[in-house]
Amino acid sequence: MKLNRRHFLGGSAALAGFGAMPAITRSAFAQSDDMLRMAFSARGNNTLDPAKSIQGSDEWSIIHIFDKLVELPRGRFALDNSEFRPSLATSWEVSEDSTAWTFQLREGVQFHKGYGEMTSDDVVFTFERLLDPEQIGTRRVLFENISSIEAEGDYQVTFRLFTPDPLFLSGPLSSYASSIVPRAALEEKGEGFERDPIGTGPYVFERLDADPSQGVIMVANEDYFDGPPAMPRLQAQYILDTTAHTLALMSGEVHMIEGVRGPGWVPSIQQQNPNLLFDVASPGSFFSLHLNLTYPDFEDIRVRQALFYAIDRDEIAAAMAPISQRTYGVLPPSFPGGFTDETIPDEIRYDYSVERAQQLLSEAGKEGLSFNCFTSQREDYSSVTLIVQEQLRRAGIDMQLNIMDHTGYHAENNKGVNTLSQRSSAYPPVPTQPYLEMLSADAAAKEDGSGGPNFSQYGVEMPGIDDLLDQANNEPDFDARLELIRQMDEQVMSDAVYLPVSTNGYLIVRSPDVDLGYEMESGFAHWRLDQARLT
Amino acid sequence: MFRLVALRMLDAIPTMLLALTLVFITLRMLPGDPAIAALGEYATPQQLELFREQMGLNLPLWQQYFVFLWDVVTLDFGESLISSFSVGQLIALHLPFTIELTIAAMLMGTIMALPLGVIAATQRGKSADSSTRIFALLGFAVPDFYLGALMLIVFALNLGWFPISGGGSDFWDRMHHLALPAFTLGILKAAFLSRLTRSSLLEVLQKDYIRTARAKGGRERRVIYRHGLRNALLPIATGLGLSTLATLSGSVAIELIFNRPGLGNLLVGAIEQRDYPVMQAGIVVFAFFVVLVNLALDIIYIFIDPRIRSE
Repeated sequence: MKLNRRHFLGGSAALAGFGAMPAITRSAFAQSDDMLRMAFSARGNNTLDPAKSIQGSDEWSIIHIFDKLVELPRGRFALDNSEFRPSLATSWEVSEDSTAWTFQLREGVQFHKGYGEMTSDDVVFTFERLLDPEQIGTRRVLFENISSIEAEGDYQVTFRLFTPDPLFLSGPLSSYASSIVPRAALEEKGEGFERDPIGTGPYVFERLDADPSQGVIMVANEDYFDGPPAMPRLQAQYILDTTAHTLALMSGEVHMIEGVRGPGWVPSIQQQNPNLLFDVASPGSFFSLHLNLTYPDFEDIRVRQALFYAIDRDEIAAAMAPISQRTYGVLPPSFPGGFTDETIPDEIRYDYSVERAQQLLSEAGKEGLSFNCFTSQREDYSSVTLIVQEQLRRAGIDMQLNIMDHTGYHAENNKGVNTLSQRSSAYPPVPTQPYLEMLSADAAAKEDGSGGPNFSQYGVEMPGIDDLLDQANNEPDFDARLELIRQMDEQVMSDAVYLPVSTNGYLIVRSPDVDLGYEMESGFAHWRLDQARLT
Repeated sequence: MFRLVALRMLDAIPTMLLALTLVFITLRMLPGDPAIAALGEYATPQQLELFREQMGLNLPLWQQYFVFLWDVVTLDFGESLISSFSVGQLIALHLPFTIELTIAAMLMGTIMALPLGVIAATQRGKSADSSTRIFALLGFAVPDFYLGALMLIVFALNLGWFPISGGGSDFWDRMHHLALPAFTLGILKAAFLSRLTRSSLLEVLQKDYIRTARAKGGRERRVIYRHGLRNALLPIATGLGLSTLATLSGSVAIELIFNRPGLGNLLVGAIEQRDYPVMQAGIVVFAFFVVLVNLALDIIYIFIDPRIRSE
């Protein structure tokens, strides 16, 4: 086809039109700078009811709409009870035996949208609802040590506990699930409360869109007891695809995104924009490997120890840098009672040694060990397990890996049929909790999937740490409790049933335009943005 | 004509019933407890049981099956096990995004494919033909998620002409959000349709009536478009129909990468979370569209091909 004058002019006009588009569209995109926009890796909001939420991304909205009785120090876990900040409670006292906690409530705090003043009745209602077996809640297990909640007047409540808990503030009361909800709103809205929540927090719920790219929009609570937040509006969007949410940050459509916990992701995004800021809440999730004691090859402790020596935990942590840190014992170094590089006893260090692994396998008569194992396709699971597979291969151990979808993985794993189960789970800094959940006989996995995450069958197939755990749970003195916890840690590591691999911190990537107002060091996988502002 | 359409519609009933039964059985065979997926691993056995009871998950399978069929008939899919929105609300939100993407992508694909196919057929063996072949090969070879990411980086991130993610709110905003994903899918569709148009047209252009039309002194453009392309439309229409179905159900990657709240996106999420009501409703909607598009194709054939009418 020949190019004639008409074609040339037509083509030029089209090109000019395309060229002019950026000016038109960029101005159309200009978004108001009164809203801080966050994007999370999820398919959409599931609920805004603190008692029902199990999706981390939803908790970012929940913690801004609601308040708890007490708050962690900004940007980190509390090292002791004196570091907790007053919130809806202004002061508190604990009985000598740590079984009764009394809180003085802040007077004059108003629920959003005219639902009245927050009083002790709302606090009692909140916790009774959490403990009600007829209510579909998701975090009841956290509050089961509460025997009763008593209101004394409008501004005082006392929690009575079954067993002593010197860490009551760090455990149950630090969970977002303990956010105080108004009785009047719950009774009026019923199930609708989860789509139209009422709290006392720094932001007031404005809108929840079924379109995940719109998500949740909140507006500043100008009457907040601690002063109004810095940003007038806050939006939690949901963008599942990694490429899509990375591009959304790069283009300025959102100011903060949830990072990807996979090898090489942080360096690659840093290459694209070196000015980005990275907030890591450590320790985040504990990544652990559980050797199934019912699997015949793992009955011999030398085989289990060989696996421990064959896995290079430093290499795994380096691959997941900068979010990952090696752990030495069951508890990470940042937890009270956790072993560090300096304090871990030599006989349970299990520093990487292919030679030692091969020697132990040889002594056990298990050279050329081969076993099947399955893992989840989720990035953090599959990445680490594939590295482990390669490390085991170096020691002559053949781990045949089957990768399945995340829900399917948990369903099968919960039946206790996996040889080398992997688990990634976050815990509050309550040192007994990981033992209770993953290593006590009561938490042993069951064939019908109704058991807990003790996938090793520790305490069932061989004596475990149950007696020590009982002692620790009934020990009111914190230091004495920590000593018992160290004993448990040593026993678990000596028995070589559970390998703590690393902790993977929760990562948020932030535009350099966002000033958080404080530094992030540690904490849960969500933090308040009431001081954040766009600069 | 009416009888023909009615017969085709009657044919659709057993197809739908078979599809519904397969959906029900397949979903129940997936590993994973929906109660645990909904309430999390910290839920107590009592709470899990309560949830199963409320959602009808503890009924015998045959009862669940009939409840499911009744829900389909009454178009009431109940509550999502995961989301706080009802299944009806979720479908109502997500379906239009998928339909508009499919229509726009098919329109763009057809607009690109027909001229390309005609050029390739009429310029057979020449450089224009080779160029369209290379375009088609690229379209077949490049994965949709890769092309989508490339488009986003070039046109949304670097040039800033289009938004990065979402479905948009008002009409123009929605069109703006639609343009890039539809264009991306359109290119991929055009690759297939242009080859189909070329081969179909080439076959027709060798027929006697085309030679006769040329011999009678008809203008080449008229011969190609009126006599050639019109008679080549039957296989192209079939290809368009199949391609529309593939786009409806297969645009998940594009929906994901452009973060569009489409039905495919919703369905994949529901499968991951074992959200039975949403899975069932989503697949039923897809099955309905398969039947509907096939029915539409049958009707279109009647108009395109007079031989079917006379039969």
